[in-house]
Parts: sequence; structure tokens; C-alpha cells
Amino acid sequence: MTAARVAAVGLITGFGDGVRALPDDAARAAGRRRVIGIPRTPVSGERFRRATRECVLGVRAVNALLAEAGESAGALAGTATALVYVTAAAYGAANRAFIESTGGSAGTLHFPYTAPSAVPAEVAIEFGLRGDYAILLGDGSATEEALWHATTLLGRGACARVLVLAVETFEECADLYARGRWLVRWPLVEAAACALLVPGEPTTPAPASAVRARSGETGACAPLIGFALALAEGGVPAP
Amino acid sequence: MTRGAQGLHAEPVAVVAAGVITPLGVDVDSFWSGLLTGVDGISTIERFRVDDLRVGRGGEIKKLPAVTDGIRCRASALLVAAAADLRSRAPIDADATRLSVVVGTALGGVEEGEHALAHDRGPRRAAAARYDRPAHALARALGARGRVLTVSTACASGATALGLGADLLRADRADLVVAGGYDVLCRFVMRGFDVLRSLTRDRVRPFDRRRTGLLLGEGAALVLLARERDVRGERLGRLLGHGSASDGSHVAAPDPDGRGLEYSARTAMAEAGIEAGDVDFVSAHGTGTPLNDRIESAVLRRVLGDRADAVPVNSIKGAFGHTMGAAATLEAIMCLLASRHGAIPPTAGFEEPDPECGLDYVPRAPRRTRPRISVSTSAGFGGCNATLVLEGERGR
Repeated sequence: MTAARVAAVGLITGFGDGVRALPDDAARAAGRRRVIGIPRTPVSGERFRRATRECVLGVRAVNALLAEAGESAGALAGTATALVYVTAAAYGAANRAFIESTGGSAGTLHFPYTAPSAVPAEVAIEFGLRGDYAILLGDGSATEEALWHATTLLGRGACARVLVLAVETFEECADLYARGRWLVRWPLVEAAACALLVPGEPTTPAPASAVRARSGETGACAPLIGFALALAEGGVPAP
Repeated sequence: MTRGAQGLHAEPVAVVAAGVITPLGVDVDSFWSGLLTGVDGISTIERFRVDDLRVGRGGEIKKLPAVTDGIRCRASALLVAAAADLRSRAPIDADATRLSVVVGTALGGVEEGEHALAHDRGPRRAAAARYDRPAHALARALGARGRVLTVSTACASGATALGLGADLLRADRADLVVAGGYDVLCRFVMRGFDVLRSLTRDRVRPFDRRRTGLLLGEGAALVLLARERDVRGERLGRLLGHGSASDGSHVAAPDPDGRGLEYSARTAMAEAGIEAGDVDFVSAHGTGTPLNDRIESAVLRRVLGDRADAVPVNSIKGAFGHTMGAAATLEAIMCLLASRHGAIPPTAGFEEPDPECGLDYVPRAPRRTRPRISVSTSAGFGGCNATLVLEGERGR
């Protein structure tokens, strides 16, 4: 199988943009806050009129990746880029909004945005991705499977590069997490992270286990944050 | 296409057996006989309130089998019921750590979320609303301790799950994979499609010129996948190829040119190592919406080329509704049963051809033919497209 390496990473968390914003100790930085949300930042364009917050975060993460890589917005367009999306919980906010809307109307939320596929759809539309496509649901272990799937696609020659994207939002369902508080690792830190995988030889092993200490609980984003940390230290991590 | 068929060709994977629960019946045999004899799986929905919706009909399963007694989450119950049917047809005999589960869903445990927000303040309801929970319930029921994956490419999920399951076997990350899809008919999804005005007040009429929309259904469908070389004895068929693609066009509507669906079909056929001339039968997504059926027909005409008029194309969604995450797996199973039994089920509801579609949609009665190679196409919200290529046991 063709070896794969992580060429670039985009990262936004409740602590700020990029790895430089991550504290040394997320729990201490969170203090008494159980959820560290990402402040809402509007994205311009009529196309995003209906888009949910998690969709906008996905687009922002990919923009961050492209900026880091020095690439234009069109660099990912076409069938040569596969897209693999992972989330454990980002659909929760839209699901809840739809369930709690009343009467025959669904309120302002457009129903298709309740689907987990809405986030990668907005990313695919924004950046013109039309290649292989998969969506996995779950936390960091699902992302590990997504990374394996991405390397499989590269090894098979099914694409030239794979964008692996993860988004997690928690604020809108914070009370639901609190109901099962002993099941949850705190603080929950909202995040949107993506990695661009390309054929090539990695120079460093899989990312270190310090991710949770630095970033808190970020669900499916954790393995990608590990890549961001490794790249920031000058490594070329293996997926 | 950016790649040649030669480089993509993948090792076929055996489909050993199948298990289902559907509005037509709670096992493979009743599902199949229902498709052939024209059983109507559509009824008035009784399990939750629909009196405030434009349309209150769908493919509702009225009674679950006893094996699901005590399972509160309906999504998990459907999976356990389908697994019981599967196990009655083939032993699932593998080291537990090498038995994996890959299931697709559009809705996961969302109905548990409805309960959690309405009346049940307990921690378990809220946790059960996660879309990946039913897959873990299935794994527990099977005693599987290998990988447990949930995929959610909307209404193409049941195809994506089979593709990923096959890859787990090819990469030797599992010895057996139980793969498939499921979804429940619940108030959440009925309201959603009602608001979108996608549900028809007529019957579902795929590819018919009078078609006005879809109806939803529920169900679960599972197949047991294994490496060809590991299978002893009978099997249902082989999964030859899988392709997927994003439209990159619209969150809810299909790409008007069907580019993603076409790419997924061509990729699946390349992975299977087949040409258009090898295709004996197409199981279409065929939702019965004006847009989908016209776009899909145009895609199939391009992909099949000169053979387009000679290949029978059906949709089984008229019989029991669109079962979302279960649909693509049910349709894959139908393809393999068509090969086994020498009959292609008709497209229920198709009576008056639409000149804008224009393929052979198997009207009125089953077609007595034994397809060897079948292509099954699927699509869903978010511009998700997936295609499977299957070979029935006739080819062996």
C-alpha cells in the first residue's frame, strides 16, 4: 500500500485558531466552564444563509488548512480529492432545534441541515470537492478508522489526496451532556479540524497522547489535533 | 475519471447470507415474496402522531419479532431483528475480536433524542440519541468485539457500509463483517419530509410520468461478508465493487447533471472490473420524486451507453417506501435474490412511462430472467452518492 503523510492541517477550537491557541492544560484553562464554545463568526455569502454553525465551522477549518498550505480555494476542487468526514455530536444542535420547533413549521432550520451529511456537503460545495466520499460517526476511534479509509483510497489510487474533516459542537446540547455527566470527559471543547493526506513518506510516528491535556475533550477532532501538534513541532506525521 | 479501471480493480468479497426486517415482512423470505406478489407495505402510521402532517402514511412495521422484546430503542431493535434473521441463515463463526460491524443510517438514534427532549430526563435516553449507539447495540447482540463503524452518507448509507465492510476484509482487519443499514420511521423524519413537501398523497410511482414524490419506510438489512477464499459452502453472491462521490452541488437536491452519481457508478464498475456490456440489471435509487428519477435515468443512460434500452431497471421503493439508511442494503439483497430465483421484482407504482426517463422499468409483473451482474445506485441529502456492483450465484 502507498504510504501516506499529512501535508497540512487546519484547526479551530474553543481556545482559538491553530495550535498556538491551545493551553498547556485545558482543564485548568477551562476553570469552572464545562463547555468551551467557539464564538460565532459570520461567513459572508448568500449561499450560507441557511447553513448551521457546524457547517460554517467546517468551512472555516478548511480555509485555515488552505492558508497554512499556501493554497488557493480551488486547490481541492474536482474528483481527485476525496472527502472523509467524522463527527460524534455535531448534528445534535440541528436535531434538537428541529425537534423543539413547534407546529407544522420547522422554524427557521431547513430540515436537510439536521443530517450529519450537511457539514461535508457545505464543504464539498464551497471547495468543489467531487471525489470519493464517506461519513463516519463516532469519536476519536471513528476518526482513526476514517484515516485508515483515507490511506486505503490513496493506496488504491482512487484519488490524489484526501481531506479528512472533523467537527464537534457541544454548546446547544450542554444540558443533555450534563444529564449523564459521569459519562462525559470534561471540559468539552468545540473544535473543527481537518488534515490533507497525500502519498508520501511520513517522518514521525502517530501523534503523541498529549492531545487531551492540551485541548480537552474534542471528540472526533482529537486525532487531527494530534497531527496539528506534530506538524507544529516540525514533524511530518503518518495518518 | 482520473484513473483507469485497471488500477482500481479490487478483490471480490463473498456475501454469505442476508437478514432483514421490512414493512413487507420480518425475514428475507417474506420480503422477497412480498416484492414478487405485489404486497403493499404502505399503511397509515399508527406508532406516533401524524394528524398535523400533510401525509400520514408510510412503510411502518406493525409488529416486531419477539427477539426484540425488552429493547427500548427501536433502531437497535430493528438491527437485532435483522441479525436474528441473518443468523438463522448462516452461522456467524469467527473469533469475536475479528468480527466487525459496519452499519449505515440516516437517522441513528434520533427518536431517542425526541424522547429525551420530551419526557424522559434520564441520562440514558440522551446518550442513546447518538447516531452510533445502535451499531454498538448490534455488536453486543452478535458478541462482536472487532471494529464497530457507523456510516451516515444519508440515504446512500447502506451501500457505503457494504463498501467499507468489504475493505475491512480485503485489508485483513476482520475475518467476518456484518454490514448493512437501518432506519426508523419516526416523527422527526416524517415532519422533516412533510415540511419539504417531498411526500406524496398519491402512491409512490418511480419513473412514472404522474409521480409526485416519495413515502418513507423503516427497516433494517444486514449481510454477512467474508473473504471469498474463506467461504465454505453456499453463499448468496459476491460484492464486486463499490463507488462513492459527493455532488458538491446542493445540500438537499441532487446535482442537476447527476455528476456525482455517474462518478460513483463508473468507479464501482471499474473496481468490479466490468464494462457496461456486462450489466444485466440495475436496481435504481428510484425515489419517485420528479427530479431524482429524471436525473438518475439520464445517468444510467450515459453509463450503460448502447445497452441502456436492453437492461431492466427497477425500483422497489413503491412497495414499502424509502427506508433511508436501510434502502441500499435491501436493494443489494434484492439484486442477489433476483439472481438466485431467476426473477426481477417489478417497479410497484410504475404504470405510465415518462418520456423524460425512458428506460425499461419492469412494469406490472416480475421479469423472468436471471441476472448475473447487477448495479445498485443510491443517493441522499448532502450530495451523497454510492453504487454497488454485485454478482449473483448464477455466475458461479
